[in-house]
Amino acid sequence: MKAQRIICVGNRFVEADALGGLVFDYLRRHAPPASVQVFDGGLAGLDLLRLVEGAGRVVFVDSMANVEVPGEIIVLDEAGLREIAPDAYDHGAGLPYLVRALPYVCDDPMPELLLVAARTPCQPETVRKAADLAIEIALQGWRAEVAAREEA
Amino acid sequence: MGKVRITVPMNRVEGDLEVRVEIADGVAVDAWCSGTMYRGFERILEGRGALDGLVLTPRICGICGISHLRAAATALENLAGITPPPDATRIRNLTVMTEHVQSDIRQSFLMFAVDFLNPVYEATPLYGEALARFQPFKGETVRQVIRETKKILEIIAILGGQWPHSPFIVPGGLASQPTGESLLRCRLILEQFRRWYERRILGCELERWLEILDSDDLDGWLEEREEHWKSDLGLLLRLARQHGLDRIGGGHDSFLSYGGFPEPDQEKSKGKNGLFPAGFLLDNEVHALDEKRVTEHVAYSWYVDYKGGKHPGDGETQPYATGAEGDKYSWAKAPRYDGRPAETGPLASMMVAGNPLFQDLVRQNGPNAMARQLARLVRPAYFLPAMQRWLAGVSGDEEFYRSNGEIHDGTGCGLGEAARGGLGHWVTIERGRIKKYQIVTPTAWNASPRDSDGTRGPMEESLVGTPVRDPENPVELSHVVRSFDPCLVCTVHAVGRGKKLGRLRLSMTK
Repeated sequence: MKAQRIICVGNRFVEADALGGLVFDYLRRHAPPASVQVFDGGLAGLDLLRLVEGAGRVVFVDSMANVEVPGEIIVLDEAGLREIAPDAYDHGAGLPYLVRALPYVCDDPMPELLLVAARTPCQPETVRKAADLAIEIALQGWRAEVAAREEA
Repeated sequence: MGKVRITVPMNRVEGDLEVRVEIADGVAVDAWCSGTMYRGFERILEGRGALDGLVLTPRICGICGISHLRAAATALENLAGITPPPDATRIRNLTVMTEHVQSDIRQSFLMFAVDFLNPVYEATPLYGEALARFQPFKGETVRQVIRETKKILEIIAILGGQWPHSPFIVPGGLASQPTGESLLRCRLILEQFRRWYERRILGCELERWLEILDSDDLDGWLEEREEHWKSDLGLLLRLARQHGLDRIGGGHDSFLSYGGFPEPDQEKSKGKNGLFPAGFLLDNEVHALDEKRVTEHVAYSWYVDYKGGKHPGDGETQPYATGAEGDKYSWAKAPRYDGRPAETGPLASMMVAGNPLFQDLVRQNGPNAMARQLARLVRPAYFLPAMQRWLAGVSGDEEFYRSNGEIHDGTGCGLGEAARGGLGHWVTIERGRIKKYQIVTPTAWNASPRDSDGTRGPMEESLVGTPVRDPENPVELSHVVRSFDPCLVCTVHAVGRGKKLGRLRLSMTK
């Protein structure tokens, strides 16, 4: 079976960009299933390409600025991620650029891509929820019943 | 026609750079480069442990973190009188150059070349070829560049543990010792990258490129073989000439290089000054670099005023932006060498090193956007043989670390070339803690605001005189600014802005 990976991204020193780092720390403390590989992707942006290649499913975890409801967790699929990507590369090109470039530069079959996001700063409960959701999605993919449960 | 003032839209450079230009009769007559965010790393470092610069300063920038790390380590070595062992110097040179090479190639094709797809060029002869190669995401060159630069960065990951923000360079050498297997893997990666660079970028072997000694040779090379003409470098050259980039983007004609790739064994190198030597070039004369001649001015920067310029070792970083500070317009300070502005970067390195091709190009047309970008794109041709030589020279059995004990009180400076030019760190340690830390980045030199005498910075000066056909679409100005590869991440601000923040338009699946 191809690898299932969680890649936590963002700048842990900046509150508004810290979700990835917080979730990574949480997952390290609460040993995730052995079949899920967890990485702290930091600010590597385009250079996360190596981590994406060879995986069957990749769940990114990142902060998102315009989430209106504190504590709300947002899940985007690959199409949703592409919509927020910039038109061209710049020095700050991050996760959305990587996702948009991937179909053209990925040396392996494209993995399934998902994003788990929330606004930061946030409560520890939101971090826990995002981490648990990332694990669930990494293992099973995004399923309608998860959406129904989360929305209930 | 009256004067108009425009703000040049500068996407694809770090967004905290604002360039304002005054245009009269279709020509830029004045310019102001503004860093629009405060960095403040100097203040963050004050009072911290002597070694903290090694951890914090590489995080200033995700592109040239190794250059910052080396500058931080070198400043402490300079303070403590430590000389790292030869194999550590080889590995340092190799990793810094790896960072340069990936940056040079990415900037050339993911940022600079994209301007050739501007709608104003749509009806010009080379547009279709440019589109096929340089279109974001889809262009053939763009796709290859992302693939190949991904691979070469593995050298840093193998030798330094990770990239970016690797922590492996310490005062006295390296924090780790590479194994024979890891050195072999690096050699294979480097050889593979060189072959790709020769085949795809140059269209010839490095040795053939290095035979080019003047602009006639360059013309001859371009016409010599179809592989040269059709290479990515060949196309970039043809586009640059077609759109007149060799006639725009001048400057003060003064160049600064910090060198920073020392020959590992000083005894064997018999006083050689490394691959690209340090120096200051003014009026066609190269002067030996003296870091004491570096000063920073704040007359037009949002900092508490002082008279004239101050050496970074005596410098202050006290923000002052009340809204009533008059002429100030940038968070970047104005570095000067011997009181003069100076361009830094690949073209400056070539000029200070006496590279005959670039000296000839500048002699004919003055500094210009094409020469600046050409210097960046062919710099790997000069680096790669040295990288291979140094890598092959690492025995693996020698020491990689040599210490004099704890870092004592004192002052030190670490100078070297980052991808965009001369990078300097100045540190003062008192009672085991950082009393003062000043960082002068390449983009601070190039995108400097005016100094105490009102003299424009290099990029500002280079914009003056540029013809602008359409102020609503000033692509000529974009070519000039981008030829400096400005990066205001390291020049001005403290936090990763994260483009995603505040720019999201969500398509939620939930």
